[in-house]
Amino acid sequence: MTASLRNVAIVAFAQRPIVTRDEHRMATEMLYPVVREALAQAGVERDAVEYQISASTDYLDGRPFGFVAALDVMGSWPPRQDLHLEMDGAFAAYYGWVKLQAGDVDSVLVATHGKTSEGQPERIFNLALDPYYHAPLGLDPISTSALQASAYMARTGITDADLARIVARNRAAGARNPDAQLREAVPAEVLQRAPFHVRPLRESYLPALGETATCLVLAAEGVAERLCERPVWIHGAHHASELQTLGARDLSRSASARLAAERALALAGLASAAEVDLIELSATTPVEELILLDALGLDGRSPDGPVVNPSGGPLCGHPIMSTGAIRLGEAFRQLAGRAGARQLPQASHAIAHGAQGHCLQQNVCFVLGTERRWR
Amino acid sequence: MKRPVAVVGVGQTKHAARRSDCSIPGLVREAIDRALLDAGLEHRDIDAVIVGKAPDMLEGVAQPEQFLVGALGGHLKPVLRVHTAGSVGASTAIAAAVHVQSGLYDRVLAVAFEKQSEGNTMWALSPSLPFTPPLVAGAGGFFAPYCRAYIKKTGAPMHIGPMIAANARENAARNEYAHLREPMTIEDVMSSPMLWEPIRYLETCPSSDGAVALVIANEEQARRGPRKPAWIKGAASYAEAMWVPGRDQVSPLAGKVCARHVYAQAGIHNPWAEIQTAEIYVPFSWFEAMWLENLGFCAEGEGWKVIDRGDQRFGRHLPVNPSGGVLCTNPIGASGMLRLGEAALQVMGRAGAHQVDGVQHALGHAYGGGAQYFAMWIVGAAV
Amino acid sequence: MHEPPADPVKYIETTVRLPYCYVAGDYRARQLRAFKDRKILGSRCSKTGKVFIPPLPNSPESFAPCTEFVELPDRGVVTTFCVVNIPVIGRSIDLPYVAASVALDGADISIFALIQECRAEDVHMGMRVEAVWKPDGERQGAHDDILYFRPTGEPAAPLESFINRL
Repeated sequence: MTASLRNVAIVAFAQRPIVTRDEHRMATEMLYPVVREALAQAGVERDAVEYQISASTDYLDGRPFGFVAALDVMGSWPPRQDLHLEMDGAFAAYYGWVKLQAGDVDSVLVATHGKTSEGQPERIFNLALDPYYHAPLGLDPISTSALQASAYMARTGITDADLARIVARNRAAGARNPDAQLREAVPAEVLQRAPFHVRPLRESYLPALGETATCLVLAAEGVAERLCERPVWIHGAHHASELQTLGARDLSRSASARLAAERALALAGLASAAEVDLIELSATTPVEELILLDALGLDGRSPDGPVVNPSGGPLCGHPIMSTGAIRLGEAFRQLAGRAGARQLPQASHAIAHGAQGHCLQQNVCFVLGTERRWR
Repeated sequence: MKRPVAVVGVGQTKHAARRSDCSIPGLVREAIDRALLDAGLEHRDIDAVIVGKAPDMLEGVAQPEQFLVGALGGHLKPVLRVHTAGSVGASTAIAAAVHVQSGLYDRVLAVAFEKQSEGNTMWALSPSLPFTPPLVAGAGGFFAPYCRAYIKKTGAPMHIGPMIAANARENAARNEYAHLREPMTIEDVMSSPMLWEPIRYLETCPSSDGAVALVIANEEQARRGPRKPAWIKGAASYAEAMWVPGRDQVSPLAGKVCARHVYAQAGIHNPWAEIQTAEIYVPFSWFEAMWLENLGFCAEGEGWKVIDRGDQRFGRHLPVNPSGGVLCTNPIGASGMLRLGEAALQVMGRAGAHQVDGVQHALGHAYGGGAQYFAMWIVGAAV
Repeated sequence: MHEPPADPVKYIETTVRLPYCYVAGDYRARQLRAFKDRKILGSRCSKTGKVFIPPLPNSPESFAPCTEFVELPDRGVVTTFCVVNIPVIGRSIDLPYVAASVALDGADISIFALIQECRAEDVHMGMRVEAVWKPDGERQGAHDDILYFRPTGEPAAPLESFINRL
């Protein structure tokens, strides 16, 4: 493995506000204005971006080849260099970073779409489980999250009140985010009175399933500076997956998130995640937040250290397939000074995390900074 | 900033209508184990796994790469899942090559599979889009009208399609892994039932279970052996929008642009003269003639003549699909990677009974969607 | 649990049932509502003036928005077609049937449509066709308000007039 990397930056990010159901647009129609906006932010026409990657999943779209329709709204004419991943957009952004490292192109557009309101995600993602032993149990993402939560609480002694506090903090942050789906702060005591959906997860501890479309533009050094006044540089990135088999892993920990974070931090030249100013995690429950902070080598109960999910995180809006891309986009907004009412002052380093699969099975981690990493 | 990248191992399963002797994980492992053996490597040597397959509805498992992480050897490794319709196997191999080209990864495993016997293939390929009349009956129902347009534009005689199909079977007889290997005559094809006129049953790809895996590595690994590597001289994947007025669906622009890009990277100026064999994605016979034109092997309108003269037969000037191609083996997600993998085998001198002599450059090609996605590479014997 | 089963368990059969409720989107919804009035709507690219049917919010070619709706006649030409002989689960069309690309007069792209009221052998590229609608009062504002297209009997259109609208 060689260590001489190209400096690559995020230069634009656009998203639609996350909503429960968009009654006016099909999934790919939500994408069109967002691609236009991202290009407008970068001050270029579509022709100027050399490579495009889309991220979505056929099962959410409700038809095989559902992603093909995205081509028509991403400006795929004349023909473009292109790839599609059936993964959350953060993984597509990771591949965009790898593609830029390969050196043939200098700019990449990453587009995500997905509507959670048209199908039934709990049934759809039940089908993502091993068809022999897990899927027939009727497990859905909330049930598997609950299994993970039980394991974590048993090992660490974290309490229901602790979980409520984490959710309250996220909800308060979401209230300052005009793109979030849930924009109302709720006190922990109120959250703690919600009924259990699947113990130990109360209804109030579950992510708000929503829908949106997003577009990120990445560019290499030399081009990035022309597209953005304050490019946000990728200092390190890595991802890892682990076995899906629920009984084969320690559900109270995320080994793949730890690996992803360690390698990303090493590339970034950081000794610890504590050195960044903010961390945007694709944590769909308060327990996932704690597990991920654990994986990052941080103590989630400590008040010091990086601000976690200043956007409000997935608890304030979880548009499946776009959630990880939004974490990257939010980190970009913070470091580029575009975070409006939720802006953290003088943020110079951030971590953005994406995840998918039951119980944090697949994790991608980016370390970002306002300065170039390599000279 | 170009780093040399090569295919150092190829493994594929015996392809069949129904592999009832193994599960999806078993099918995938068969290909992976063979590829690793071929490359002289073990799972621990692999830095990342890039998986490709076609719509998940084909097996009824959503995002199956997740439950397959163990079988893929992807535990605690980076695993990415690509999906570009019919071209997916090829774009997956190319994505794996990009990983190595980036310098971030030294040895990457590319895997593509389909176990479509476990679902209902015709249903999965006949999307009933909301708000539109449900007319498309399988991929053939979509492409047959464009084959008709090709025949009309060029005045090609009707025996060309059957000729291509009969020749594919003759080639498959030399490929121990192929699904359909029984020989058939042009007359057999011309008397088989019409499925979507003008395409007949015996000129249509089968529905197969199968998997293929490639080990793609950097120069240091490639030179270490044990195999002679297939150097990836040029590779690209392109896509174009569907509803572009005047879009040529008989010879799509994305295919031409992709080919030009790949030839330029590989230093190929005259494909007909400089490429010794080509594995191109032909699911319905007529596409062989159409793609020969689209890929610049001959002038527009002349593809069917190449077939008529037999120049693309085994042992002739440019053997096309010496493996038998998609017409004889079609696990949808794997087919694109089979093309690219077979091209690599030809350069590596490992194609057994269907080895073409003296291959310096081979083309592997795949397409997908409404003829919108194109992914191809040129592999060469020299770095 | 005592003895293992005498025959090994080789297959597991499961049925997947997934309900979906799709949003048509404003553009498509407007076209569908217009079917009730026997009208066919397309949208026009704000940059090139080209007309798309079904109406698209943006032109895939120019990438500009389509801001105007345009009414199109319910007749056009078969650009190309195939004769389908394969049954698909859940479909009730009699086999064989002709599935054709139809370029409506004034449209810059074609739609996929069923051709009836003629023998499959008589369908040809360039054949002029017209829509057959469900009767007044039965149209719901759905895609099957147009039952199929049938030949008008007019002379075939020359190849050049539609070869770019396949």
